[in-house]
Amino acid sequence: MNDENQENLKELFEKFMDAKQAQKYAEDVQKAEEILRENPAPEPDDMLIANIKAEIAMRLPGRRTYVVEHIGYKLACAAVTIMILAAIGLKLFDNDGGEPDNRYNYANIIPTVIWESDDIAAADANLVIFTAEIEQIEDEVLTLQLGDYDGNGESSVTELEMELIEINNSDFWKG
Amino acid sequence: MAKNVDLAQIIIGCKNRDSKCFSQVVDMYASRCYGYFYRLTGNNDLSDELLSELFVKLVEKIGSYKGGSFEGWLFKIASNIFHDYLRGKQRRTKLLDFQKKQLESQITELKQSDNEQIDKLQIQLTRLDTDTRELIMLRFYSQLSFKEIAQMRSEPIGTTLAKLHRGLKKLRELMK
Repeated sequence: MNDENQENLKELFEKFMDAKQAQKYAEDVQKAEEILRENPAPEPDDMLIANIKAEIAMRLPGRRTYVVEHIGYKLACAAVTIMILAAIGLKLFDNDGGEPDNRYNYANIIPTVIWESDDIAAADANLVIFTAEIEQIEDEVLTLQLGDYDGNGESSVTELEMELIEINNSDFWKG
Repeated sequence: MAKNVDLAQIIIGCKNRDSKCFSQVVDMYASRCYGYFYRLTGNNDLSDELLSELFVKLVEKIGSYKGGSFEGWLFKIASNIFHDYLRGKQRRTKLLDFQKKQLESQITELKQSDNEQIDKLQIQLTRLDTDTRELIMLRFYSQLSFKEIAQMRSEPIGTTLAKLHRGLKKLRELMK
């Protein structure tokens, strides 16, 4: 047998023993291996080799089918996922480019009109009323601060005091 | 070098599940692997079975081959298959070490009873212990270096050398 990996046995044995002994050990090994070369083992039957090759060939397509099926399942899963995501995306953003209306998006409860408005205070009716009331109160406070109030505030207080005295002196509240 | 390049190409083909490449590997190694199994078992039918199992395993495990000595990788699988066979045999027959030796001699007897031609070497090999016989066959048929064999067996190279020398010396004496 042609041994391509045949090392220099003597050198190898010299790592563990002296040169003379290493030489003898190397010769022992080489002579014994010569016996093995002179007595070759039987060769495998041609039919056996053919059967092995056939079995390998039989196993490979099965494996390939399995791989293809595996990849197919993965692709199908990916496709379904993409379709679901696309459907959700369409539902969420189907108002893009259209007229705004009062429908609510799934994602929030803020009316679309307000959501898309540049001036929320003008777009929301409740907010308009609320803002007007605040402005009115602010005006009244400002008027009072300036002393320009021309109402009968003082007399109103006097009237209120009179009413309280009257209530106190009467027993109407006792029934 | 060219042979190594060819082998590398064939192995790439095997990894790509190319049946022609697997056939080439079978052509390249069937003889050596068969010799290895035959010298360890002394039985043609059993060697046929183990050789088939080896190449089936090769198809299954080729993806795990990460380079290095292909012979080393292949014969490691072959060695594992042989040990699995021995263990299975032991389990089935519940043999102790002493009985195991009897079993090994029975393999030879079985073959003789089958009127198969047994060479003198095969008879003498059965007189060696299994570990020594496997080491000798691994060295001879795998063509691995002592360093690779020692690594495969997870033992120091000095131990491998000593065991091999002792075994081969005994075989020489038996063959005289």
